[in-house]
Amino acid sequence: MQLKRVLTLRTVVATSAGLTLASSSFVAATMVANFVLGDAAWIAILIGGGLCFLAAACFSELNGMLPSAAGIRLYFSRAFNEQVSLVVSLLYMLIVVVGVVGVESFIVSQVLHEAMPLVPPYFWIVAMLLLVTALNLRGVKMAGVFQDLVTYTLIAILVGLGIFALYKTGFKLNAPLSPGGAVGIVNAVALGVFLFVGFEWVTPLVEEVTQTKQIYRGMMIALGILSVVYAVFTTAMTAAVPKDVLMVAPAPQLVLARTVLGGLGASVMIVVILFTSMKTFNAGLISVSRFMYASAREHVLPAIFSKISMRYFTPWVAIITLFFIGLLAAAMTSLTKNYMVLVGLAAAMESIVYTMAGLAVISLRRREPERERPYLIKGGYLVPGVTVVVFAILAVAVLASDPTALLYMAGAFLLAFVYVKTAVPHLKKKHEARRTTSRRRRRPTRAMVEVEGERGK
Amino acid sequence: MATHEEIKEALEDFTENFNNNERLKLMNKDWNRVVVIKATDVDSVHSWILQDGHLTLQEGFLDDPDLTVSADSETLADVFYGDVTPIEPYNDGTLRIIGSEDDITRLDFICLMIWGE
Repeated sequence: MQLKRVLTLRTVVATSAGLTLASSSFVAATMVANFVLGDAAWIAILIGGGLCFLAAACFSELNGMLPSAAGIRLYFSRAFNEQVSLVVSLLYMLIVVVGVVGVESFIVSQVLHEAMPLVPPYFWIVAMLLLVTALNLRGVKMAGVFQDLVTYTLIAILVGLGIFALYKTGFKLNAPLSPGGAVGIVNAVALGVFLFVGFEWVTPLVEEVTQTKQIYRGMMIALGILSVVYAVFTTAMTAAVPKDVLMVAPAPQLVLARTVLGGLGASVMIVVILFTSMKTFNAGLISVSRFMYASAREHVLPAIFSKISMRYFTPWVAIITLFFIGLLAAAMTSLTKNYMVLVGLAAAMESIVYTMAGLAVISLRRREPERERPYLIKGGYLVPGVTVVVFAILAVAVLASDPTALLYMAGAFLLAFVYVKTAVPHLKKKHEARRTTSRRRRRPTRAMVEVEGERGK
Repeated sequence: MATHEEIKEALEDFTENFNNNERLKLMNKDWNRVVVIKATDVDSVHSWILQDGHLTLQEGFLDDPDLTVSADSETLADVFYGDVTPIEPYNDGTLRIIGSEDDITRLDFICLMIWGE
């Protein structure tokens, strides 16, 4: 059966790479560079990218066998149980969005404040959140071709600037294979994973492509492109600018652009940062508001979140709630200036989700061996097994190196767990009672008809 | 398991409710779509044509649909009678909808407006 509108591989790649390329990625890239010696950051980045290939393989198998926009919500409920799936989905949405909004808004506000010092940074945060919220409320989405154009232009600018910076500084690899101690490398790789955060958010598009294999091809191509982009750009940043300068800069990409190309480079980079952050905000708000709406519709969040705009067909309560959550996250980040903790938190959460994706592949192969798998990872349990071990170690490494992130993670987990154990059963029970009284179910089932027939005889 | 007639009855009920709702018709006047509804366990295929805010149901398959909705017969009947929200079977993998994410969400919005929570 052929659908009228289908997405191309180009759009799948652009979506996967576009969701991943955020302004905050370069903060994480700087942190990666700081954990390793000399100019060896590219090693950690390529390892991080390589590990994400393992996770991508697990997502591809899950997505092929359970092709649904519900994504991890469906995979984990089938592989584990409903409660585990809910706790992880709620945490995933909350932490990744709060983390990304917090860091992105901080970066953009600092960059714009630097360009226009008279305007306070928080003004930019409020303005940007208001704009994205208004766009979401009106249901405005970036057209596919425009989105592709923005993402591929961004990639071209980053690679071009990176290569030019390497050329201009006469870059030579001093110690190409000497990244330093094991602890530094593990932490660098764990944060390197953050650079690729969101590549798997393309899996909900499975219902818009002709063949599910386009999704895993797209994910793999996007990861390959991103690995090269980040490796080149991060190496260029550390070659052209001292690491201690990069570490204190909220937008290290801007520092590189200014160092290499002067005022013009800085202006272009400010535009790039604005576009990147708006794109990230918008994608995050769309995904999470739809998730909140769907959760309210299945009675795991209060029904108020399923309220929709009669004019624009958008879940306005969920969108406005997210606006305030974003505002709070941005305010906290602006006050504490501790945006690094959010990067660590999001990296740890992603690592946990990737660990669970590996476990889900193993579990579902045992629970549902007969189910058709358009994409089956070769090598038996090796890839999912390695995914589980590696990402579990990375999650522990990130949380162990940042006690604040550990504290936030523990608090959020406890909150989600208590919510799922207490509030969700209450909401479900309330709905069930209402459903029983208003059930419209028409005719008796065939079995009942037969019983009635027997009685009549 | 529901029969073909039961699914048809549920879809007719849904169609009637849609066409009797002036607000819904107005809201969807520009959303022209073809939706195919297919049961996976019985031989039952229906198509909806939504054109200029008016919904028409017909039996059988239409080419080039914008959305395809497939599930076991019992789930289809339950969903289109409004006894369960589409999201519940969708999230547990029982109901499969193929099409753009926006169209899928719109279809759920319509169910919500017809049947309530």
